[in-house]
Amino acid sequence: MPALPATGSVGRSATPLAEDFAAELVELAVRGMRRGPATPQLEALAAQGFAVLKGPLAMPTPRGTELAGEMLRLPSGSAEEQRVRALYETFLPINRRLRDVCTAWQCHPDGSANDHSDAAYDAAVRDDLDDVHEAVAPVLRRLAPVLPRTGGYLTRLEAALERLDDGDHSWLASPMFDSYHTVWMHLHQELLLALGVSRAEDAELEERLVAETRDAG
Amino acid sequence: MSVSGRASRAGSSLGHGLIPYGLIPYGQGRARGLDAAALGTHGFQMDELISLGLPTVAGLTVPVADAESLTDPDLAMAAVELLQQLAGRRLAHGERPMLVRLTASAPVPVAGLPPDLPVVGLAPHNRDAVMKVIARDRVLHEVWGTMLRSIGEHGLGVAGAAMDDLMFDVTDPCEQVPALLELIAAEAQAPFPDDPAGQLAVAARAMLARWQTPRAKRARRTQKLPADLPLALHVQALVLGPWDLSGFGTATSRDPETGAFRPTGTFYRGVRRSAPRPPRPEDLSAVPGGAGLLESALLTLEQHFAAPAALDFELRDGELALLSARPERAAGLAAVRLAVDLVNAGARAERAAVRQVRPADVQELLHPQLRLTGTETELVRGLPASAGAACGEMVLSSDAAVSRAAEGVPVVLVATETTPADLPGLLASAGVITAAGGLASHAAVVARGVGVPAVCGAGGLRIDAASGTATAGDRTLCEGDMVALDGRTGAVYTGQVEISAARPPRELETVLGWADTLRKLGVRANADTGRDARTAVELGAEGIGLCRTEHQFLGERLPLIRRVILAADPEAERRALDALAEAQREDFRELLRGTGSRPVTVRLLDAPMHEFLPAPGRAGDAEAEERAEELREANPMLGVRGVRLALLHDRLYPAQAEALFGAWLDVRAEGVEPELEVMIPLVSLPEELTAAARQVRAAAEAVAARAGIDVSAVPYRIGSMVETPRAALLAGELARTAQFLSFGTNDLTQLTYGFSRDDVERRVLEPYVAGGLLAASPFERLDADGVGALIEIAVQRARAVRPDIKLGLCGEHGGDPASIELCDRLGLDYVSCSPGRVPVARLAAAQATCAAQEGRTP
Repeated sequence: MPALPATGSVGRSATPLAEDFAAELVELAVRGMRRGPATPQLEALAAQGFAVLKGPLAMPTPRGTELAGEMLRLPSGSAEEQRVRALYETFLPINRRLRDVCTAWQCHPDGSANDHSDAAYDAAVRDDLDDVHEAVAPVLRRLAPVLPRTGGYLTRLEAALERLDDGDHSWLASPMFDSYHTVWMHLHQELLLALGVSRAEDAELEERLVAETRDAG
Repeated sequence: MSVSGRASRAGSSLGHGLIPYGLIPYGQGRARGLDAAALGTHGFQMDELISLGLPTVAGLTVPVADAESLTDPDLAMAAVELLQQLAGRRLAHGERPMLVRLTASAPVPVAGLPPDLPVVGLAPHNRDAVMKVIARDRVLHEVWGTMLRSIGEHGLGVAGAAMDDLMFDVTDPCEQVPALLELIAAEAQAPFPDDPAGQLAVAARAMLARWQTPRAKRARRTQKLPADLPLALHVQALVLGPWDLSGFGTATSRDPETGAFRPTGTFYRGVRRSAPRPPRPEDLSAVPGGAGLLESALLTLEQHFAAPAALDFELRDGELALLSARPERAAGLAAVRLAVDLVNAGARAERAAVRQVRPADVQELLHPQLRLTGTETELVRGLPASAGAACGEMVLSSDAAVSRAAEGVPVVLVATETTPADLPGLLASAGVITAAGGLASHAAVVARGVGVPAVCGAGGLRIDAASGTATAGDRTLCEGDMVALDGRTGAVYTGQVEISAARPPRELETVLGWADTLRKLGVRANADTGRDARTAVELGAEGIGLCRTEHQFLGERLPLIRRVILAADPEAERRALDALAEAQREDFRELLRGTGSRPVTVRLLDAPMHEFLPAPGRAGDAEAEERAEELREANPMLGVRGVRLALLHDRLYPAQAEALFGAWLDVRAEGVEPELEVMIPLVSLPEELTAAARQVRAAAEAVAARAGIDVSAVPYRIGSMVETPRAALLAGELARTAQFLSFGTNDLTQLTYGFSRDDVERRVLEPYVAGGLLAASPFERLDADGVGALIEIAVQRARAVRPDIKLGLCGEHGGDPASIELCDRLGLDYVSCSPGRVPVARLAAAQATCAAQEGRTP
């Protein structure tokens, strides 16, 4: 196992990790887990207590998540933070719509499982997904100059759409690979880490923003 | 009225005026011989609703052939004039003004239609008059802005991204509208028209162009509809009324939970629109005048569709108008209840009801559920997020879930909410409970995605990771305590709760009762214990089609059977067998009591040798070790198994048979007389069957002699499993000895394909199915071409020798509707499936019979 190299620097704050290790840790924290054979970087992260390896799975430890958060965190009170914060607040109501689309894809409104035998139903949900995608695209376009790592999300979302349109239903909401929902969750997690927002704050804010949209008028 | 071009040609009369060609008022299409091909599904449906006597919105259709001409301001003007006559109102005029809504439909139902353009006619100069009536500035501007965005892009050629950016940066809808109008004036060749006819013409152009976008074409492609599918346009009156007396909504006829007739739906105040999302919905009790307004319309529609009905409605000044109606897809309990209600109302025959319910609906009602005794403590209640029931040790972290599950302990993951980091834990858990989040939360989406039962948003639950506890009210659970959840009701209980198949609701019993009168194929169940047998009988099984006696030899009795197999001499073997006999007799008594006076097929021991052999070094002494070593096989599934083992240890089957006959005498004394069928497994030579049958007969004679009765007082049939292709081909020979044959289609499929199921299922069958080489796994759906052909040969040859031979199928296929249909076609007498699948099999068998009688596939 390679030893961890001496201090390097990546992202915004000084870190005790060299660039590729830092990038690996950030990726792990954003994804929540990785599946597949452990890389030397992952093994090194595990040795340092930043990750745990369980069979084919790698997960960040709380320390690892914390460190990744520090690396992604935008300076508090900075113009960048304010910009991303505004975009994040636009993102949240769209986030709710995406989750509703995933739910509709998995279940009919009566709660029964969607077995994808009704092409018109699926096409209607797929059409709603286009609305969601159209709504999130301007957010991502504005996000990329401020948070360079987010530049790839639009492409990854579109790759999932392409697989979905090739006829594999699982590319919308399956948690097992980089489906539309999975990529979206990574984006969401990255925003939370960049802004230092907890999941609880996030849920509360989303609820409030969605309610405001509804109550307006 | 100034009308030019084709619009002036012809017409019929409405009141005193002439209706221009190409404009068909709602309700008048049929009279002109027009159907959905011309009117679109919406125009056709409006005719239908009006002929049913239902109130509809005022409107007209521009048929498919003329849709393009609505982009001509002259015809648009004529449409506006006609609409004003139909609605009895003037555009944006007076105290009760109206606007125009443009919608579209195609000749066939299709998803992905262009969104409605809801406020055509609204302009800066009449804005204030409209606002005065509805008194909701922001709502109206949002709708207006969205419509301008759509018409701007598709009707006037303004770049969508430019308008998106504008709407992104100017967030107040009241400011968006003037900014959008300015942008359109600058970017388009002409400003956005002020007059209603001009607006309607450009709206029509936008709608037709939107229908040709790549997005709309993709929707048609995924629905396998032609790319050039045409559109009919519909011009509706948007009659404005005061906020408190006006609104719109959707209603369905059935309660989604119970399936009972009860109008259920949502009501919104204000102007109807699809985007942006309407304001907070209220339930139907908020409808001015009450939900009762909708009841008679829904009842009429339900009988018309023979399905639960859904409708979109609008309400102006307390007056109801329908915008659309459709049959709802009924599922689960709602489907079953509806089928029964329609029969009871005389609207459907029983046979139609049986055909209408889908096997999946039946299965859905039989989801595993908690077997509640009434003594459980309900910890908390949340939302039913993912169906199914689970019980396990409470764990509070993904890590703990993974570790405990790896030790084989069922766990329930309890968390405030989950994130992608919790995925490994979710996958490892038997169930998931979250305190926060709704039906669309991460936990709910993932749990459904992987089929794990889940309760989400159990708001009363507080989780303290530091102390490893979860608290609800005054009750605190520690990590490791047992917790149970029902993903169908949202209930969470403390303690161990048993999980079992659900009892069918009353309406399902009714439908299954009708199915029983229709089907030809018998339905039995596979049951190894008295408890299984009772469950099967409760669910309607006519008997037991397969009792696997293997379990009598496993568990704590394994040392005994090991002694039989490793016995140094016949005496040691006999002693070991005697020890087994009494235990077996008790097992059989339980089974026979559970079965009652019904047929029961008991399959004598069929387990591969390796299941009985001790692990190397564990045989006891060196001699036994050596014998065990000799018996180890390279391929146990094809080795000394079934009848082969019995012929090598010729006391084995007699011992089992004696225990069975003895048990039968015991239960007969209690007044129960099961019809015994003794079945010999893994036969491939008719001679094997003859030899095994001789052993069974001798056993019956021995039991009769010991009881001092004639052997004819112990009635039984002897039969054979057909699991090898050779047995199928030699079924005629087998039928000389066998009074019944039972197709073991799992092994028969393995041996016909040369598949080892455990090895090929993931690595071969999944990619084959994904790649289209196979339509379905042959282990899930009986292979009609290969295995089915073997069964067909066997059926013919067996019946040629013994016309009254009973032929059945036992195995998982017996619960699969498509396989059941094949069994019906092949002329089998019964199928036998797991107890939980019995209701599905009863329904599927009836549907197969109906389909065969009507010469179609079910």
